[in-house]
Amino acid sequence: MPQIQLGLGVDSTETIINVIKMFALFLLMVQLVPLLVWVERRGSAFIQNRYGPNRVGPLGLLQLLADAVKFLFKEEFRPKKGVAFMYYFAPVMALLPGALSFASIPLSVPIVLKGENWGPYNFVLQGYDLGIGIVFILGISSLGVYSLLMAGWGSSNKYSLMGALRASAQAISYELALSLSLVGILMVYGTFSFTEIVAQQQGPLTFNFMGTQQVWNWLPNWGIFFQPLGALLFFAATFAEANRLPFDLPEAEGELVAGFHTEYAGFKLLMFYIGEYGHMLVASCLLATFYFGGYNIPGVTPAEVTAFFAGFVGEGNLSQILTAVTYHVSLLLRVLLFLWIFIHVRWTLPRFRYDQLMDLGWKTMLPWALFNACATAVILWLFQK
Amino acid sequence: MTLTAQDLLFYILGGLSLASALGVLLMTNPIYSALCLALTMVSLAGLYASMQAWFVAGVQLIVYAGAVMVLFVMVLMLFDLKSEVKAFSRGAVAGFMKLVAVGLMTGAFLAAIYNSADTLLGTSLAANVDGTASTKALAQMLFGKYVFAFEAMGVLLLIIAIGAVALSRIEGGTHADE
Repeated sequence: MPQIQLGLGVDSTETIINVIKMFALFLLMVQLVPLLVWVERRGSAFIQNRYGPNRVGPLGLLQLLADAVKFLFKEEFRPKKGVAFMYYFAPVMALLPGALSFASIPLSVPIVLKGENWGPYNFVLQGYDLGIGIVFILGISSLGVYSLLMAGWGSSNKYSLMGALRASAQAISYELALSLSLVGILMVYGTFSFTEIVAQQQGPLTFNFMGTQQVWNWLPNWGIFFQPLGALLFFAATFAEANRLPFDLPEAEGELVAGFHTEYAGFKLLMFYIGEYGHMLVASCLLATFYFGGYNIPGVTPAEVTAFFAGFVGEGNLSQILTAVTYHVSLLLRVLLFLWIFIHVRWTLPRFRYDQLMDLGWKTMLPWALFNACATAVILWLFQK
Repeated sequence: MTLTAQDLLFYILGGLSLASALGVLLMTNPIYSALCLALTMVSLAGLYASMQAWFVAGVQLIVYAGAVMVLFVMVLMLFDLKSEVKAFSRGAVAGFMKLVAVGLMTGAFLAAIYNSADTLLGTSLAANVDGTASTKALAQMLFGKYVFAFEAMGVLLLIIAIGAVALSRIEGGTHADE
């Protein structure tokens, strides 16, 4: 009988906690969806001078619970001429890229726990640190297209198929601009790892200018000051990747009923929504990590925060945990702000026409992203001499 | 005998890539074949990752599974596949072509194994290579030692792209005579 060794931790306690952590990260993504749907409905209502759902529960918060129950108890339905395997697999596939990418993003500073006769355990608030964070996320998110293609083909519906084809053409076009806009970040920080990118954004704005080191104390050392154009291109391309307005042509209801998910109802439809909001969440986390200092708090270091909490609760595990929570909130504030911008843009801008969408992707964003990469290389080469 | 997580991962990914590669050949519908090929690409990326070749794994996902196969599947979905399904499955010509393809593939495999046997058995993998460091080493090889081959490949791909554009610009497309 072969014995199986899993390399998930130094001992069984750490293995168990690491496994629980993976489930928690998945639930973290899923539980954000009802809240975002609520913000989207109420927010759009206030933008359009309406009330929105406000009857079920305080501020209409329980409406989503009622909706979830409705989704669960809807009649099971499948198009007769559809392909069963693809039809059922597509919604599951829609969840995978978001969940896998989200798990690889560091959410806070690591916690070091130590007891009298156990530990020390070093817990990173991150599903896994692969060391090639950027490449991994780009690879995984490029697989999201298969979900749309399978849904479109498996439904055996012309509208679904047209929606799926539009979606995949759009995703491939904008993936180029998205990847190229990140090349600047790679050059500035010289690493693929998210943890290292965040660590390098600690402290005041520091850069080399004509051989002398400049330190600007009044600005944090964030990526957006080195890569403003890259940040803008990345932000715009993520809208297309998440199939959000103004790039939501795959589900343009005026032309395609509901696009690739025309034939879906009930919980399967909800899974597509979870996938879309998962994309938004990952995009917001990445935007914060690359361009807005990750979980860093401007002006203080993690050690100072730990010392501050140690003044109240004493040195030890509790001050470590409180530090991690503080830094997580710091990241969360940024992420929620970006999510709100995502939602606000959806209810502000009109939808692009398809040729405008392709022109924007190939003739505007791709050249600018290329220019950004070349300009970054030249400037780095000149200034680092 | 101890089975580490590494071994377990290898057996799962290896089995998956073999099964999906067989699926590419055995499926009669071209769309299923293309999707199986995409699954093969993904499991190969997993195998690369389990050998610490992080960057190659990522690029395998981005380029092959994420872009090339998506385009394949997209184009296949636009075809009326009924005649293609027949042409792919039956007939003396198709059978002959299959035999030729199998022969060529076997030859290529045997040659590859024969030529690389020494290299494969001789080198051992460095454990826990940092993703960024190994990518830097790869880039130095690619843009230093093999820069001519790399640029030549780039030019070749560019010629193919220009050729495709030129073909699509012909009046009436490629089916002008029909």
